[in-house]
Amino acid sequence: MGHSSVIGMDEIVAEFIRRTILKIPVAEIGKILRIWNFIPESQLKTINLKQCKENVSQDVVELCKKKRASMKEAAILDIIYHQTCQIKKIWTVYKMTKAPGEEVDLSDMEEFKDSFKKVLQRALKNVHISFRDSEDTAVWIRIAWGTPYMKPNQYKTTYMVYHSQTPFVFISHCRIKKYIPELWQALMTAGNYHKIQQMELRSLYLDSLKAIVFKQYNQDFQTYCLTSLEEENSEVEIVDPRIIHENMKEKERIQRVTRETFGDYVQPRIEFAQYKLETKFKTDPKNGILAEREEPFRCLVKFSSPHLLEALKSLAPAGIADAPLSSLLTCIPHKAMNYFTIREK
Amino acid sequence: MASSQKHVFSLTGVLYQLERLEAHDQRSARPQDGHQGPQDSETDLEAKILKLRKLRDELRTKVKLHEAGARIPIANLEPYEPLKNSEENLKMKLEKAKAFFQAFHLTGLSGKLTTKGVCICFNTAFEGNILDSYYVDLIIKKPLQIHRHSVPVFIPLEQIAAKYLETNFQHFVYSLSEHLNGYSGRKYQADQLQCGFSAFLARPLQRNSLCTLLSFTYTMDPSGESFPFCARLVYQDLTTTLPTDVTITYQGTGATPASWENQRAVHETLFYKNALHKVFESFLRVRENFDCVSSVP
Repeated sequence: MGHSSVIGMDEIVAEFIRRTILKIPVAEIGKILRIWNFIPESQLKTINLKQCKENVSQDVVELCKKKRASMKEAAILDIIYHQTCQIKKIWTVYKMTKAPGEEVDLSDMEEFKDSFKKVLQRALKNVHISFRDSEDTAVWIRIAWGTPYMKPNQYKTTYMVYHSQTPFVFISHCRIKKYIPELWQALMTAGNYHKIQQMELRSLYLDSLKAIVFKQYNQDFQTYCLTSLEEENSEVEIVDPRIIHENMKEKERIQRVTRETFGDYVQPRIEFAQYKLETKFKTDPKNGILAEREEPFRCLVKFSSPHLLEALKSLAPAGIADAPLSSLLTCIPHKAMNYFTIREK
Repeated sequence: MASSQKHVFSLTGVLYQLERLEAHDQRSARPQDGHQGPQDSETDLEAKILKLRKLRDELRTKVKLHEAGARIPIANLEPYEPLKNSEENLKMKLEKAKAFFQAFHLTGLSGKLTTKGVCICFNTAFEGNILDSYYVDLIIKKPLQIHRHSVPVFIPLEQIAAKYLETNFQHFVYSLSEHLNGYSGRKYQADQLQCGFSAFLARPLQRNSLCTLLSFTYTMDPSGESFPFCARLVYQDLTTTLPTDVTITYQGTGATPASWENQRAVHETLFYKNALHKVFESFLRVRENFDCVSSVP
């Protein structure tokens, strides 16, 4: 069952392609297959996308069999699927540093890929590595892990996104964690870096992480000047000039402070912020048993939201919190952190 | 204080000070008052008034010149004895900073004053085309700090700041401007090649984030029959828009004809000396001429 070139396409590959197509939403299947560019357009047209997904994926597999797709091409299909669709995987950000005194280097992406592949394959047997460039000068690296006795498991993959000449890597791990040292070694050797460190920044949304780390959000510097800030005219519902908003001044102050803190544009999307408190319980020294504890009071506070930063931005205008908000909340994009540990000073 | 006297609030507080002193002088001239005023003698006060009047006149002429559209040369803002009110000093400094930035506007640099410092805007351009703008927001305090910025992460901003921000601010601005203009120029050329001349390219242009390494394969002949050229342009200097190393090779097997070799040498020189899209524009002209010639029966 394993011979690929003699009989036809490998059954494992066929099954993998079938399962991948099943994962793709119907609306995206055509688009992804076109980007993949493995099946010619003329044959793609013969696929009836209106039938049930099982049948669609069978049709695709049949077409792939005709062209003898290998795991290499199937891996590319998998990468394209991950690049196009919003996958529910947590991305973690890592920062690499160069040795002191090292200048910005040329960073030939081809050399990077070669070097990365060589180093990783030298360290580990049975890893399947695929690369695909994306439009924004980034490379997506897909790694399927195996063992010396087992072929790579194509369903347990690690994805890495790396932009050339930047110190950041975005990694979405599968549950296999034991090959991390080898992965770092390959990455640092290929990229010519000295050290790698995990940042306290995690989210489901890769684009938001990129926006935070590359500082591509909220860059409206042109109105960032106090002298040119104008208050937006609030909706004038009340026609009678004798009626005024009682708290107009306070409202305007809150708007101004919110605007200064968060800016005018939509915030990057993250879904939680976590604060680990290791501080002493602060209370009236006479009251309560907790007051006499010498050890810090350990507590975990987690804020969750479908769009946390936008939610925080709307707290003060909605009257739920005072403006300005605590800097622990507002510093999230500036510090590029959403996991905090707060200790006693 | 004579209440009927109108307060004249001018650009600086000097006139207000002057009025106060004059009023005080008038008050102490009246014999009935018990107040004696400050210990300074009358002559001292007179001298002070004269000095302040002289300064007021100077400032008035300067204001007039400014309003007439002339630029105040920075060197002409003479240092004067600091008044008790340090707000004037600060205002003078702000005016000086404003004039400084106005002068630099022509070089693509401009700045806006903010509550805590200044926000510098770098407008980049290449061959007369206005390209992206980048901002650096500085907080003025010791040490000078970058509050936030929109400089791409692959530009070595930290290195440039570490070298020059504290010691030589002008050089910091200049160096960063060079890097940003270099990057913008290279990116513009790469984008132009990718979008405008894709017909020549056998495979898509490959570049890194800083556009310091560009790699592409092109043919002169649209039908693809001629031997392709595989070019690799390296820009070692981050501030330049012309490559420092150009290598053109043939990736296939077999020997290349002499005509290909000749073309290769010519192309290499072209890439060294001209912007990328200009080179391809010349290729386009050659091709068009060739088509014209070949279509003649």
